[in-house]
Amino acid sequence: MKTLKEMLAEARQVVPEEGPADLQRRLQSGDKVVVIDVRDPDEYRDGHLEAATNISRGFLEFRVGTAVTDPSTPVVLYCQTGLRSLLAAKALKELGYQNVINLQGGFQKWTQSGLPVVKDVPMNADQIQRYSRHFLLPQVGDKGQRKLLRAKVLLIGAGGLGSPTALYLAAAGVGTLGLMDGDVVDITNLQRQVLHTTADIGKPKVESGTRTLKALNPDVHVIPLPMRITVDNVMDVIKDYDLIVDGSDNFETRYLVNDACFLAGKTNVHGSIFQFEGMATVFAPNEGPCYRCLYPTPPPPGLVPS
Amino acid sequence: MIGLVQATETVKLLLGIGEPLIARLLTYDALGMRFREVKLRRDPKCPLCGTSPTITDLSIHRNGAGGACEIAPDGRREPAVAAPAAKAGG
Repeated sequence: MKTLKEMLAEARQVVPEEGPADLQRRLQSGDKVVVIDVRDPDEYRDGHLEAATNISRGFLEFRVGTAVTDPSTPVVLYCQTGLRSLLAAKALKELGYQNVINLQGGFQKWTQSGLPVVKDVPMNADQIQRYSRHFLLPQVGDKGQRKLLRAKVLLIGAGGLGSPTALYLAAAGVGTLGLMDGDVVDITNLQRQVLHTTADIGKPKVESGTRTLKALNPDVHVIPLPMRITVDNVMDVIKDYDLIVDGSDNFETRYLVNDACFLAGKTNVHGSIFQFEGMATVFAPNEGPCYRCLYPTPPPPGLVPS
Repeated sequence: MIGLVQATETVKLLLGIGEPLIARLLTYDALGMRFREVKLRRDPKCPLCGTSPTITDLSIHRNGAGGACEIAPDGRREPAVAAPAAKAGG
């Protein structure tokens, strides 16, 4: 009979190990790597690496295919101290995963090195039901839902574009939605601005919008910002958000949002509509063009209605 | 429709999944019920994100609404790609 020590020694001969600093470098490099936390779900919930997917040791061989689609992708496994994951890594090697690495010292050494961890707030029974269809999607899952719940999105405009966007983001469980609009609800808005109802006429759009979104999903923290976005407030407002959605209705605001997002390094999800036509794109600083690359100057006044 | 595209792109970006609509412009024509995709490229002469930017803060926006935009160094009025005309409307 083999002793545990012998089994671990055998595993070390076939599984390369890396320390926390090596893994952190890999994660920051942007190179493709899959990190799997092989501990039990309760250990994972108490704190884990943000990049990690939880597949506990007992299910690893059954579920690894959902997390690692290409067997040549580097896969880093970790557990609490690095022993369970060492044996797990050997099993994955035997399954044909070519590039499996064990995190030496495990989660314990990672935290002792002062590297960042995230802790999952347990979802309540309602949340588990509400997001159950997301959990079934391998690209979202429990981990993706938690990311959405932690995310902060700013919606500029609660009108024709902002209304549907806000409803869908709230329904999906995006945890914090900033809703910015300085207007009040007018009866002419109601045929398209579906955040607001007839009873809201005359009220600030952010007020009716907040109420609708909270009614749809009480999980969502809605921050009403009853003001226009201006050169004086834009930088201060956008700094708190992960992503900006521009649903504004005029060129001045679009250029302002574009410039501020680029300078602050924020991604801007842009959309505009006019009558029966619309367009959408994503302006990601330094990854693609910005609004000014697309429209160096606005169309002359009078050519387009505002 | 466009608001839903924005919502979908937002969720994708937050989750880091799929292919984001970066450097691509999706246009939608409701009457013809047609989508079209236009590839976008960065303009090296862009006053904001180009190689020698002239906009390094937001002061240009302090000069009144028009000042926000009248900055094309070469006086160009054509968009960088063959894109549909810019239109306002929320």
